[in-house]
Amino acid sequence: MALKALDIYKLLPKKNCKECGDPTCLTFAMKLASGKADVDLCPYLDDQAKSVLGATTRPPIRLIKLGVGERSFAVGEESVLYRHDKTFYHPPGLLFKVSDTQSAEEITAATIRVRDETLTRVGTDLRFNGIAIENTSGSPAVYAHAVATVEENADLPLVLIAKNTEALNAALIQVGSYQPLIHAATKENFREMCAIAKKHNCPLAVKAHGLDDITSLVKECLAEGVKKLVLDLCPQSLGNYITLSTAIRQLAISRAVPDLGYPVYIDATHPSLQDAAIALGIVKYASVIISPPLSPASSKAALTLRQNIYTDPQKPIQMNPGLYRVGTPGKDAPVLMTVNFSLTFFTLQGYLESSRVPCFLLIVDTEGLSVLTAVAAGKLNETLVRDSIRKFNVENEVSHKTLIIPGYSAPLSGMIEEATGWKVLVGPRDAAEIGEFLHEEWKK
Amino acid sequence: MEYDLNFSWTGTIGHVVIGATRADGGTRKTSYTLGGGTSLPYLDNNPSSPSPLVALEICDNPEFWSPIIRRFCGDLIHSTSDWAKTAETVYGADLVRLYLTSTRVRNFSDIVSVGKTIESVLDATALPLIIEGSNEPGIDSDVFQKCGETGQDERFLLGTAEASRYRSIAAAALAYDHSLIAQSPIDVNLAKQLNILLREIGVQQDHIMIDPYTGALGYGLEYSFSAMERIRFSALKGDTDLAMPMICSAIDSLNIKEVREADPALQDEMAMQWEFYTGIAAAVAGAEIICVRHPKTVRMLKNAFADMKNNAGFSGVK
Ligand code: B12
Ligand code: SF4
Repeated sequence: MALKALDIYKLLPKKNCKECGDPTCLTFAMKLASGKADVDLCPYLDDQAKSVLGATTRPPIRLIKLGVGERSFAVGEESVLYRHDKTFYHPPGLLFKVSDTQSAEEITAATIRVRDETLTRVGTDLRFNGIAIENTSGSPAVYAHAVATVEENADLPLVLIAKNTEALNAALIQVGSYQPLIHAATKENFREMCAIAKKHNCPLAVKAHGLDDITSLVKECLAEGVKKLVLDLCPQSLGNYITLSTAIRQLAISRAVPDLGYPVYIDATHPSLQDAAIALGIVKYASVIISPPLSPASSKAALTLRQNIYTDPQKPIQMNPGLYRVGTPGKDAPVLMTVNFSLTFFTLQGYLESSRVPCFLLIVDTEGLSVLTAVAAGKLNETLVRDSIRKFNVENEVSHKTLIIPGYSAPLSGMIEEATGWKVLVGPRDAAEIGEFLHEEWKK
Repeated sequence: MEYDLNFSWTGTIGHVVIGATRADGGTRKTSYTLGGGTSLPYLDNNPSSPSPLVALEICDNPEFWSPIIRRFCGDLIHSTSDWAKTAETVYGADLVRLYLTSTRVRNFSDIVSVGKTIESVLDATALPLIIEGSNEPGIDSDVFQKCGETGQDERFLLGTAEASRYRSIAAAALAYDHSLIAQSPIDVNLAKQLNILLREIGVQQDHIMIDPYTGALGYGLEYSFSAMERIRFSALKGDTDLAMPMICSAIDSLNIKEVREADPALQDEMAMQWEFYTGIAAAVAGAEIICVRHPKTVRMLKNAFADMKNNAGFSGVK
C-alpha cells in the first residue's frame, strides 16, 4: 500500500535542514511517495516513523552499490517483471571468480581481463564488472594475499567469498573501504557476518534456500542493522533458479513481501551449465552474476545478451539525424544515406572506416528503425530524404548531386530522384560490401 | 509461505502434435505433443508441458548454407540423408528441419526430386521432421503439394506460412494432415491476424505453430524476446488465436558480424554460443522448438533444458 506525500510529510521531522539532499521535508516526502528516495537519508526520523515508512516508501527493490570509483556499479531498483512493461534499468554485474588457491599469475590474468577488456557494440563499451575472490584455502593469510594481488592490479568492484570470518577480516583490512560485497551470511553465521559488514559498511549477501528461509534471514540481518543486502538463492537446478528468482521479483515489486526487495545473486560456476546459468541470470532477474573467466565466445555472447535485454524497449538506441563525416571528405566525396538506428549506423560506419574512402553520411530520422523495417513501415520515404538534404545543407557541402542509398531501399530510388532532383545510386544490401562498391562504382 | 506462480491465468497453450509413429500410421520412432502450458515456461511445473525440443536445420543444396557449417560438416553436407542421420545418431537432435534449398535456384522445376529428397531423409532418420518448402511464390503450390504428399501420415511440421503467402502451404497441410509454421515479423497483432487468416481457410488451431520471427542476438533478439513473452501472455489471458506453441529459429545468427568475422580458430565456438544464448532466452520467453544450425549447439541446449525443467528443491513456491 503506497502512502500519499502529505501523509508521509506528517511523519517527517519538518526541520527543513536539507541533510537528506532535498531542499525541504515536503519535497523529500514527495520523493518518498513516488519510491524515488530512501527513508534512511533523513537522519532525524524516529524509529516509529521509520518502521511505518520503511517498507512502503522505499523502492520495491533496493539499490545496492558495489565498489567505489569509476568502475563501481549499482543494481536493484527494478520495477517490472517483464521488460515490455517498462524497461529493466540496472544491468547485472558480470564478475569473474578466482580462488585463493590459484597462482598469482592466474589471478592477475583474470583481473587484467576485467580491467582492460571491452567489447564495443552500437557505440557502447561493454565490460565485465569485477572480481569475486573465493577463500578455498581456508587460510586467512593466503586469502589476504590473493585479495592483495587483485587489488594491486585494478580498482574493481569485488565480491569476497569466504566462510571463515578471520579470512574476511584479513581481506577487509585492505579493501574494507572499497565497498566489496561480502558473501555470505547464512542461518548459522549471520551475526558475525553482520558485524563485519557493519564495521566496514559493506553490502552483504545472504544465502538461504527457499522463500521462507531467505525472508527470515533478511529479517535477522535487518535487525542486526545491515540494510545493504543481496540475495543468494542457492538454487539446486536451473529450473529452481527461474522459479525462485521470478517469485522473488514478483513478491518484491508488488510489495507483498518487502523483505524480499533486494537484488539477486547467482553463482554460475558449473562445469557444463555455466553459460546457461549466465544467460538465465541475465534474462531472469539476476543482478550479480559470478562465473569463472569466460572464453572469448561466451564473453561476447553474454555481454551482447545483457545489452539486448537491458535496452529500453520503448526507444531503440538512436543517433541524432544529421550529416556525419567519415575521415575528412572533400567536395567531391560520396554522400551515403542511412537511417538513425544506432546498430545500422555503427555497422555501416565500421565498414566505411575500413574502406578508407572519406565520405559523408546523411542520417535521416526513421525514429530509430533499421533500413528494412523503416521501408516496411513507410517511415523511410522520399519526402524525408528531401527534407533531410535541405535541413542538413548537404548541397553546400558537396559539388555533386549523387546520393547512394542502401540496397534494401532500392524500391524508393525512383521516388527519391523525383523528389530531390538528385541522382540516386543504389548501394549494396550488405554493408560488408560497401568498400568494394565505393572503390568500383564511385571512382567511375 | 506457499506462493502461487500461476498469476491467476485462465488460458492454456493448445497442443500441436508432430511426427507419427507406427501406431499412428506413420514411421517415426516418436511423436511429440507440444503445448499444454498454463503459466510461464518453467513455472507451471506441469508435466504435460514438455521441455523445448531442439531441431537441427539442414538443407539439400549447401550452396545456400553458412560456410561455417559447410566447413564443420565437411563432405557430410553433400548427402542430405547422411546429414539427417547424424542429426539423430551423432548430435542428438529431437527433430530435423530440412530446408529444400534446392528449390531456390532460378527456374526450378524438378518437383520429382523434392519428393525423392524427402523420402531419403525419411529413410535416413526416424525423427519427426520439419520440412521447409519453397521460398518462391511461383512454385509454392507444386513444392508444398509434393512435400505434403510425400509425408502423408508422417505428421510433418511444414514451413513457412506468411501473411502474403499461406494458401499453398495451408492446402498441403489440410490435404495430408500436417501442421504448419505461421511466421509474422515480431508483432503480437500480426501473429494473431495470420492465425485468423489460417483458421478462416480451415487450418485448425492444433495444426499451427507460431514463429514470431527471431532476430539474431545483438540484431533484434530483444524485440523477438518481448514479442514471444507477449504472445504467451495473450494466450494465458485467454486469447485462443494466440494459444499455439512457438518455434524459434534465429536464421541470421551465423551471418552476423561477430560470428562471420570471428577468428577462424574460434568460429565454431562463436557460432555455438551465439545460437546457445539465443536459444536459452527464447525458451524462457516461451519457444517450444528451438532450431539451430551448428550441430554442436544441439547437446548444449538439451543439457541446459533438462536442468531448467528440473525443479528439484522447489521450495515455498506452488
Ligand atoms: C528488429 C526488427 C524489428 C524491430 C525494429 C528494430 C529497429 N530498430 O529497426 C521491430 C520489432 C520494432 C520491427 C517492426 C517491424 N518490422 Co521488423 N524486423 C527486425 C529485424 C529482425 C532486424 C532488423 C535489424 O535490426 N537489422 C539490422 C540493421 C543493422 O540492418 P539495416 O538497418 O538494414 O542495415 C544494414 C543494411 O541495410 C546496410 N545499410 C544500412 N545503411 C546503408 C546505407 C547504404 C548507403 C548502404 C549501401 C547500405 C546500408 O548495412 C547494414 C548492415 O548490413 C528484421 C529482419 C532482418 N533480418 O533484417 C525485421 C524486418 C525488417 N521487419 C519487417 C517488418 C515487416 C516489420 C513491421 C512492418 C511489422 C510490424 N511488426 O508491424 C514493423 C515496422 C515497424 C513499425 N511499424 O513500427 C520485415 C520487412 C519485410 C520486408 N522485406 O519489407 C523484416 C525483414 C522481417 C521479416 N522477415 O518479415 N522490426
Ligand atoms: S533531512 Fe529530514 S528533517 Fe532534514 S529536510 Fe530532509 S526530511 Fe526534513
